[in-house]
Amino acid sequence: MKNMPPRWADRLLEAFCAPHLLEEVQGDLYERFLRNGKLFGVAFARRQYAREVLGFLKRPFALKRQLNEYSSPSILNPVMLRNYLKTSFRNLTKNKVSALINLFGLSLGVTACLVIYLITNYELSYDTFHPDRERIYRLVGTEKFNPQADVRPAGFVPNAVPAAVRNEVTGLGTVAAFHNIESEVLIPEGSEKPRRFEHRDHGQDNAEIIVADPQYFDIFHYQWMAGDPKTAMTEPFQVVLSERKARKYFGELPLEQILGRSVIYWDSVQVKVSGIVKDWQKPSDFTFTDFISMATVRSSQLKKGIDLDQWDDIWSSSQAFVKLPEGTRPEQFDKAFLAFSKEHFRKDFKFVPGLQPLSDLHFNADYVDNYSRKAHLPTLYGMMGVAVFILLIAAINFINLATAQSVQRSKEVGVRKVLGSSRKSLVVQFLSETSLLTLIAVGLALVLVNPILTAFQSVTPRGLTFNLFSLKTLLFLLGVTVTTSLLAGFYPSLVLSSYLPALTLKGQSALKGGQKGYLRKGLIVFQFTVSLIFIIGTLIVERQLSYIRNKDLGFSTDAIIEVKSGRAGKTEVLLEKIGQLSGVERVTKQWFPPMGMSYMMTKMKYKGKKEIELDVSAKVGDANFIPLYNLRILAGRNYLKSDSLRELVINETFAKRLGFQKPADAVNKLLEFDGKTFPIVGVVADFHEQSFHSKIDPTFIGYLPRQARNIGVKLAVKGQQVNELKEALASIEAQWKTVHPDKKFEYDFLDDRIAQLYEKEQKTSRLVNTATGIAILISCMGLFGLATFTAEQRTKEISVRKVLGASVASIVALLSKDFLKLVLLALLLAAPVAWWAMSKWLKDFAYKVDIEWWIFALAGLLAVGIALLTISFQSIRAALTNPVKSLRSE
Amino acid sequence: MRRSYLGEFEEVVLLTVAVLAEGAYGVAITDELDRQTGRTVSISAVHAALHRLEEKGMLKSHLGDATAERGGRRKRLFSVTVLGSRTLHDIRAVRQQLWDSISPQGLPVVSL
Repeated sequence: MKNMPPRWADRLLEAFCAPHLLEEVQGDLYERFLRNGKLFGVAFARRQYAREVLGFLKRPFALKRQLNEYSSPSILNPVMLRNYLKTSFRNLTKNKVSALINLFGLSLGVTACLVIYLITNYELSYDTFHPDRERIYRLVGTEKFNPQADVRPAGFVPNAVPAAVRNEVTGLGTVAAFHNIESEVLIPEGSEKPRRFEHRDHGQDNAEIIVADPQYFDIFHYQWMAGDPKTAMTEPFQVVLSERKARKYFGELPLEQILGRSVIYWDSVQVKVSGIVKDWQKPSDFTFTDFISMATVRSSQLKKGIDLDQWDDIWSSSQAFVKLPEGTRPEQFDKAFLAFSKEHFRKDFKFVPGLQPLSDLHFNADYVDNYSRKAHLPTLYGMMGVAVFILLIAAINFINLATAQSVQRSKEVGVRKVLGSSRKSLVVQFLSETSLLTLIAVGLALVLVNPILTAFQSVTPRGLTFNLFSLKTLLFLLGVTVTTSLLAGFYPSLVLSSYLPALTLKGQSALKGGQKGYLRKGLIVFQFTVSLIFIIGTLIVERQLSYIRNKDLGFSTDAIIEVKSGRAGKTEVLLEKIGQLSGVERVTKQWFPPMGMSYMMTKMKYKGKKEIELDVSAKVGDANFIPLYNLRILAGRNYLKSDSLRELVINETFAKRLGFQKPADAVNKLLEFDGKTFPIVGVVADFHEQSFHSKIDPTFIGYLPRQARNIGVKLAVKGQQVNELKEALASIEAQWKTVHPDKKFEYDFLDDRIAQLYEKEQKTSRLVNTATGIAILISCMGLFGLATFTAEQRTKEISVRKVLGASVASIVALLSKDFLKLVLLALLLAAPVAWWAMSKWLKDFAYKVDIEWWIFALAGLLAVGIALLTISFQSIRAALTNPVKSLRSE
Repeated sequence: MRRSYLGEFEEVVLLTVAVLAEGAYGVAITDELDRQTGRTVSISAVHAALHRLEEKGMLKSHLGDATAERGGRRKRLFSVTVLGSRTLHDIRAVRQQLWDSISPQGLPVVSL
């Protein structure tokens, strides 16, 4: 339009000019435009108009927004904040059911998140506090016992290697070896009887005593409380103690006076305290407290246990650490290590050294050792995933309930908008509702976290505590609060604040976007998919565990205990005494029971048509071993009583591997072991000797007197009579005391030992169970809330249907159908994911259950059942209401 | 004593508002200034000065009726406050006093 001012100039003015000035300014400009148009022509007037608009834009007063009595206060104004808080609170108390559902769900979610965060954070912080930790490596390697054997990773090195590596591999920096030993500790008390401290409970307590190179303290930084770090570890018969240990041994003596005091290890190795260091406070696998100087080994009885010149074998207690010089990479030494290996390992046994980063130590189960506790990284990541999903489900509940409620709140939004609320402040108001709820949930989680940590002590790592006031924890909580509030509150607040007041106040529910609730349905499907994955997971884990528990192991475990007499000695005497007890059915001298963590692999040769050499597992026990454990003899007989190895019994797998079709064929054949030949006198049925993760190896059973120093006892107990058991154990302990008056009586039930093999699986099972419970609970609460609202919204429809003759059943079906469809859809989505995840988990087992189709069917049925149960309450109530009540008033 | 400092332009605008009496609003003031002083002033400058004077309390304003030639928009009509009047009088008195103190030879003769 030619006789109008330029539109762009008008727009510009409207955009920039302060609203309260706009009218007069624009009016003045327009008036002048008209006059200019008359006087000088439209073109000039338009140009002039634009010029004048631009003239205004450079005037600050025209741009300044003025606070007048009608403008909205800033959303951060205290008045507004108070208002947000108040309305949030009112709203929460008004819709108690949904508020409680949300609160409960969010609390559960946040608590799960917090607990899992604490666990993972604790595990991941292991040994992260050492200075120069990225330069610290463990000397590990690969070993190969003979040309036929597999190359296996080893977390430990032959005893002679560290010293040789230090001298021969140039540029490696500091090398420190140590050996951990188990020992009772004696503290001489002048002329009195020395005070004694029992050795640690293996598998329970941390490793404490090591014999270490002086360089150990160069690699790992300790704070010295007493003694001279330079000379404390260089001489024989020196020991450095940690402060805690020094206090344990010597009480409250001043630290300086403890220096020079004597400590006795292994009954006869007397060393003098030469230094005291402060204990580390942070999580570490290096839990050592007694550091005996390496020089002590050659000058004392320790040399019997630690052969520092041994090249041809490896011991799990033999450790070495390296601190590389700055700027070197571990790969640089690969060649040097290979050359080193060629130089020193010329016979059958091969060992190639390698370097393992310190950060890998706590997680890599390939490199075993006997002090560090391994955390399973995939489990940790799995747990994090679980935490995220649980929180997500809780947030989805909130979104669902809030959008479902939105119809009710649309009037409120309309009124607020009419009264001048901006969209921004509406969004803030709804977000503040979520934040308030989340904050309460976080508060509840903080209250709950300690009881939960106590309840789940068996699953959480030892030493884990909850400290609210650490910066990291506070940051985490803040992060959780903010993300949850935004996650749960953002979408509902956008939807709610978008309502047009004119429509909502007229009484039309202006449901925008999700008119058919696709988003809500999608979210429910997501929730149930997650829940179903957890349900399927639980079913499969449980099935596998019950398979493990119930499968015939091939031997009996009932009422059998293992008495650890190996270290104490005098096995013969003890065996005789225990064997005579009335509560004991049978005793055997053995090394280890048929199944357990400890086993030995060795080599055997069979010279048949062609020579076969096999890696076989050794079970050591006297002639009572096979009858005591009830091993089933398939052919031949048990070996006869003797005082040395004369005859062998092998298992079925062994016979098959040697090429015999029938077990009986193997009897009376000869096997070569340790340079001598022994006859096979019997074949036993296969029995499990390791956890179900590994296949049954070819195994022989024989009597090796040097190893068979522990005692296996079969108690004569019928059933599980606790009193009888206790009596029998007490009588055995009494016998022990007569033989070893001052040594601790140690025993294990075989069942417990076997259960220990599946500790990780037990933990996984508890984790999956808990996660499933929480996921189902939260999902159901969401469903319940949603069902409530659907029923309420459809009251009129239901009443009309009833008036027209619908039955209660048909109405319940009508209301339930929609939800059931969603659950079935979720099952379709969950099944492949769960199948994939669980087959990965089962892959670790050599003996496992199959994933069968009915598991999915059962899970689906469970989910449908749970969903039905949840919504039936609401739908039945809706179906039973008297239609008159809801149709009466309009 | 001068209560408040007034710039030259502000003073002229304030006087113009007084001259226009009832009908003092942006366009009218601009036109009157144009006519009386012969200088071309931009409307935004006038608005800025009016705004400033109102902030200083020398002008008050109210919105008038809507008129068709403004596209239905209302005018803001200005009038001088007591403070404004007082200030103008002060300025005038000072000027008068100064004029009176000039000796007849103090200024070169200007023939108009």
